[in-house]
Amino acid sequence: MSPILEAREVTKRYRLGAGDVEAVRGVSLAVEPGELVAFMGPSGSGKSTLLHLLGGLDQPTSGDVVLDGALISRLSDDAATKLRREKTGFVFQFFNLLPLLSVWENVALPFTIAGEDARHGDQAAAIRAALASVDLAGKERNRPDQLSAGEQQRVALARALVRRPALLLADEPTGNLDFATGTEILDRLWRSCHEGGQTVVLVTHDAKAAAYADRVFVLHDGSIRDEIQLGRREDHGAAPLIARLASLGL
Amino acid sequence: MRALNALARRTLVARPLRSVLTIVGIALGVGVLVAALVLNAGLDAAAEQSAHDQLGRADLRVAAFLESGLSPASVTAMTTTPGVAVVAPELDQRTYPAPNPLAGSGLPVPVTVVGVDPEPDAALHDRPLAGGSPLPADGGNVALVSDALARANGLVVGGTITLNGSAESGPRTFRVSGILAPVPDDPDPAGRSIVVPLQAAQALFSTDAVDLVDLGLARGTSVTSVTAELERRLSVEPYTLTTPDELVARLRAATADFRITIALVAALALFGGAFLIFNTLAMTVAERARDVGLLRAAGMTRRQVTLLVLISAVHLGVAGVALGLAAGVGLAAAVTALGSPGGGALALRELVIPPGGLVLGALLGFGVTVAAALEPALRAARISPVEALTARLDQTTVLRARIRWLSLVFAVVGVAGIALWPSTASGSTGILRPLGVFALMLGVALASPFLVGPLGALVGAVTRPFLPTEERLNRSALTRDRSRTALTVGGLAVALAVLVALGGVAATTRQAAIAWLTDVVPGDALLTAVRPDALDEPQLADLAAGPGVARLSPIGMFAVAVGGLRLDAAAVVGADLLADGRLPLAAGDRATALPALDAGGSVILPASISDRLGIPLGGLLQVLAGRQTVALRVVGIASRTIPGTSGESVLVGWSDATQRLGALGAQYFAVRYVPGQAAAAAAALEPLARADALELAPLQAVEGSIGASVDRLFALLTALALVALIVAGLGIVNTLSMNVLERVRELGFLRAAGLTRRQARRLVMLEAAVLGAVGAIIGVVAGVVAGVILAALGPGIGVAYDPGWWTIALALVGGVGLAVVASAWPAHLAARIEMVRALAHE
Ligand SMILES: Nc1ncnc2c1ncn2[C@@H]1O[C@H](COP(=O)(O)OP(=O)(O)O)[C@@H](O)[C@H]1O
Ligand SMILES: [Mg+2]
Repeated sequence: MSPILEAREVTKRYRLGAGDVEAVRGVSLAVEPGELVAFMGPSGSGKSTLLHLLGGLDQPTSGDVVLDGALISRLSDDAATKLRREKTGFVFQFFNLLPLLSVWENVALPFTIAGEDARHGDQAAAIRAALASVDLAGKERNRPDQLSAGEQQRVALARALVRRPALLLADEPTGNLDFATGTEILDRLWRSCHEGGQTVVLVTHDAKAAAYADRVFVLHDGSIRDEIQLGRREDHGAAPLIARLASLGL
Repeated sequence: MRALNALARRTLVARPLRSVLTIVGIALGVGVLVAALVLNAGLDAAAEQSAHDQLGRADLRVAAFLESGLSPASVTAMTTTPGVAVVAPELDQRTYPAPNPLAGSGLPVPVTVVGVDPEPDAALHDRPLAGGSPLPADGGNVALVSDALARANGLVVGGTITLNGSAESGPRTFRVSGILAPVPDDPDPAGRSIVVPLQAAQALFSTDAVDLVDLGLARGTSVTSVTAELERRLSVEPYTLTTPDELVARLRAATADFRITIALVAALALFGGAFLIFNTLAMTVAERARDVGLLRAAGMTRRQVTLLVLISAVHLGVAGVALGLAAGVGLAAAVTALGSPGGGALALRELVIPPGGLVLGALLGFGVTVAAALEPALRAARISPVEALTARLDQTTVLRARIRWLSLVFAVVGVAGIALWPSTASGSTGILRPLGVFALMLGVALASPFLVGPLGALVGAVTRPFLPTEERLNRSALTRDRSRTALTVGGLAVALAVLVALGGVAATTRQAAIAWLTDVVPGDALLTAVRPDALDEPQLADLAAGPGVARLSPIGMFAVAVGGLRLDAAAVVGADLLADGRLPLAAGDRATALPALDAGGSVILPASISDRLGIPLGGLLQVLAGRQTVALRVVGIASRTIPGTSGESVLVGWSDATQRLGALGAQYFAVRYVPGQAAAAAAALEPLARADALELAPLQAVEGSIGASVDRLFALLTALALVALIVAGLGIVNTLSMNVLERVRELGFLRAAGLTRRQARRLVMLEAAVLGAVGAIIGVVAGVVAGVILAALGPGIGVAYDPGWWTIALALVGGVGLAVVASAWPAHLAARIEMVRALAHE
C-alpha cells in the first residue's frame, strides 16, 4: 500500500534578522493509511512547523511533501487549499473556533467553505453525528465563549471530523486542557483512527498523549532523532514509551 | 456565496459600533455629494426658469446699453425688420410712491415701475393676476401692482397709488386694475413692482425712450438672420442682444464658482468616507487575522477570503449609499427650503432631483467603498495561515494601512468626479482651482505619515509637564501603526483644511467686497438714490449746506463700451478724493491724476482692467459714446476701485461722464461731516435726505450689509465642510478604538501594575488630543495654502489674502476638541478592560 503522507528531505528555513533559523532540517518520513503517528519533542524542536508543512499550510524551503499521491508542496496556493479542504482536518491548541459563530456553524464551516448547504440533508446529518460523537449534542446553539475549554476543543475536533477527511492533523490538541478533558480528546482521535480508519498525525510534548500512537517520531532541533514503534494497543499505557525514551536518554 | 455572505454579515454585526460608524461615514460622504448634485440641478433649473420668467416667449431681447435707453427710432427700426413678428418695448424705472399712510414715518420704500405696451407684451409675457383685470389695450393711468406691494401699501383693485415722477411731470396717480400673483423673478428686488402702460410710464418719467425691447420672431425665421439685420439697422444707440439660451448660460456661469466649490467639498467629504471604510475593513481584517488563518487552514481559498472582505464592504456600501441618498436629498431639500444661499443668481426655486445625479452619487459612493475595501481584502487573502495561528502573531504587522492605495482611490475619485460632474458653463480656470486644491489635499494625505512622527513628538513635549505618566506611556501609541495614524490625522487635516480655506476665502471675499468703500469713498456716510440724481437738482445744494456737512461728493455709476466690451464706469470728483487722501494709486501720481479727472479727457483704471485690456499708464482708453469714440488718457492705475455690476469700474471725471459719455446723474453721495459734529449732522441730514428720496447710511452699515451677504453664501459651504469634519471625527473614534483593542493586553498589564481606570481613560484621551493637535496643525497650514490657491486663481480682487484668523483659531481648538470628544468611547473601553481576561488571553 502506498503511504498517504510522505515527507522527502523536507527543510524549512526562517529568515530572521541576524541569521537564518532552520526549524525543520531534512526530514523524511512516510505515514501509512490508518496509522496514528505522533511527533514528540521539546518546545521549539520544530513539531508545529513540520505539521504545517505536512498539512500544506506552509511550503518547505526545500524537499517535498506528498499528500495522497499529490505533491502538495509544489501546488499553487489555490490547489493546495482545495486539496487540504478535501483530505485534511486540523485541530490546534488555541484559536480553534470562530467566536462569532455558534457551535453548529463552527462545525459546519468545512461544508460552508466548500459552498455546500449544511442546513439539510447529508451534511446536516454529518454535523449532528460529529457533534454526537464528541458528546456535544444539545449545545448546537451555544457560542464558543459559553463553553468550557474542553468542550471548545471537542467542537474543534468535531469540525475536523465532520467531512471524514482521510488525514487528521492535531497540534497539541490537549496542551491547553486538564488531564481528564485531554483524555476525552485523545480517546476520540484514537477511535476515528481505529474504528473510522482515518489517519492521524498528532503533535505533542506529552508522553501520555504520544502513547496513543502506533509510532512516535522524536524531534530534536528540527530533525528526527528517533522513531519508536509502539504498535496498535487498546490500553494506551504510557509506560512502554517512557521506558523507550529513557533508554534513549530523553 | 450565500455562506460567505452570512459570515460577512456576522462579522459586521459583531462590531455594531464600528459598522455603524462606517455606514454613517459613507452616508455622509454620499449625502454631501448627492446634495451637491441636487443643488446643482436645482440651480440649473432655476437658471432656466429665471430666463423664462425674464424673457417669456421672446426669442430675442434688445436692451439699451446706455442709461438714456433706446429711442423711438430704434423701436421703429425693429418693427420694420423682416422676420420680427412681435415688438414689445419696456421701460423699467425705480421711483417712490407718495407717502404711504400705512407705513408710518419710516423711510419711503422704492418701487420699480415697469411700462409695457399691453398688447405685444401679452403675446410674449405671462403676468398672472391674483385678482382684478389686466391692463386695458388703450392705456391710461392704470396699474397692476405686485402682491407684495399691494399687501405693504394696503392696495386693492379699484384703489389708487400715487407715484413720484420726474421734476417736470411731478407725482401722478394710477388706478389699480389688478393685483399680480407673486413670481420668483420680480423685476423689483423687494418684489415691489408695478406694471403700467408704456405711455403712462414715459409720461411719468418725461422720456420717449425705452430700456429694452423683447422680440417675437415670425415662424421659420432664424435668430441669426434677424440679429444680422438688426445689427445693420440699429445704429442710433448702443445696445445688447440676448437670446434665451445665452441668458441661461449667463445665469449658470454666474453660479459656476459656487458649484465648483460645492463639488470640491463633496469630493473631500467622500474621500473622508473612503478613508473610514478603508480603516474599518483593515481593522476588522487585522482583528480577525486568526479567524482568517483558521478558515484558510480549513480550506478557504485566497479568493474566498478576498470575497469575504469585499462582501462586507458591499454590505456597508449598500447601507451607506442608501442612507446617503436619503440624507443628500434631505440636505438639499433643507437648503432649498431655506431659500437662496447667496441671493441673486444663486436663488434656488424648487427641489429638482436629477435621476442621473442619484445614480452618479450611488455609483461613486459604492465605487469608492469597494475600491477602498480592495486593499484590505487582498491583504486578508495574503495572511499566512501558519503565522495567523501561532501565538507569536503580532496583529499590527498583519495589516498595515496602505496610504498609497488610498491616495490612488483619492486620485481616481477626483478624476472620475471631474469627468462625470455635470458640466457648468465655466472657463478653464474654473477647473484649475479645484484641481489645485484636490492635489494639495492628496499631498497632505501622502505627507502625513512623515509629519505624524515629528509633530507628535512636538505636541507630546508640550503635554509632558502636565501629564508626565500618561505622556510617557503614550509615546509609542501614535507610531503603533504609523499608516493608520497618518490616515486618521490625514482625514482630520483635510476636513479642517477645507474649513480653514473656506474661512480664509470668505474673509478675503468679505474684505474685497468692502475694502473699496474706505479706499474710494471720500466721506463718513453714503447717501443712496434710487434713480440717478442730476447734479444740478436744487435739493442737493440744500443737503450740502446742511449743518455739520463739510462736503457732498457725487458718485455716478454707468456703463461704457470699450472695444465691444461693456465696462462699468464711475463718475467721481477727483478733488474730493485728493482732499480726503482716498484712492491710493499703484501707478501714476495722485496729485496730478485726480485733478486731471476733473479737468476731463482722463481716466483712472483699476489694475484688473489695465491688465485685461493691456493698457498701461499713459495709454489711451477708446470709449464708444453714441456714434463717436472718445479717447481718454490713463493718468493712474488703482489697485482697487468701485465694484460695478460685472467688475471694477473705470473712474472718470463728472464733465466727461455727463457731457461725453451719457451718464445721467449720481446714485451715491459721499458725505463728509465736519469733524466732531458727525452725530448731530447725521440727525439733521436724515429727514432732509428722506424728503429727497435719498437713503442715508453710515459707511460701517454699508460694510455690514455687504459683509452679511458674503457670509450667507459661505455659510452653506461651511455647513457642508462641517459634515466632512464629522466624518473625520468618526475616523478618530474608529482608530482610537482599534488602538485600545490592540493594546488590551498591554493595558491589562498596566492596570495590574497599578494604573487606575482614570489613568487608563486619560491615556486614550491624551492620545486623541495629540492626534487632534497634529491634524489641526497640518490642516491649518494646508487650509491656508488651499485658500490662497482658491483666492489667487479667482478674479483679481486686489486685496491681500486674509487667512481668517478666527477660523484658524476655531480649527485648532475644534480639531483637538473633536478628537477628545471622539475619544470618549474608546477611553471608556480602555477603562473597562478586565485585567484577568486581558492577561489570560492566550
Ligand atoms: N515564523 C517564524 N519565524 C521565525 N522563526 C520561527 C517561525 N516559526 C517557527 N520558528 C522557529 O522555528 C523553531 C521551531 O518552531 P515550532 O515549529 O513552533 O516548534 P514547536 O512546535 O516544536 O514548539 C523555533 O526555534 C521557532 O522559534
Ligand atoms: Mg508548537
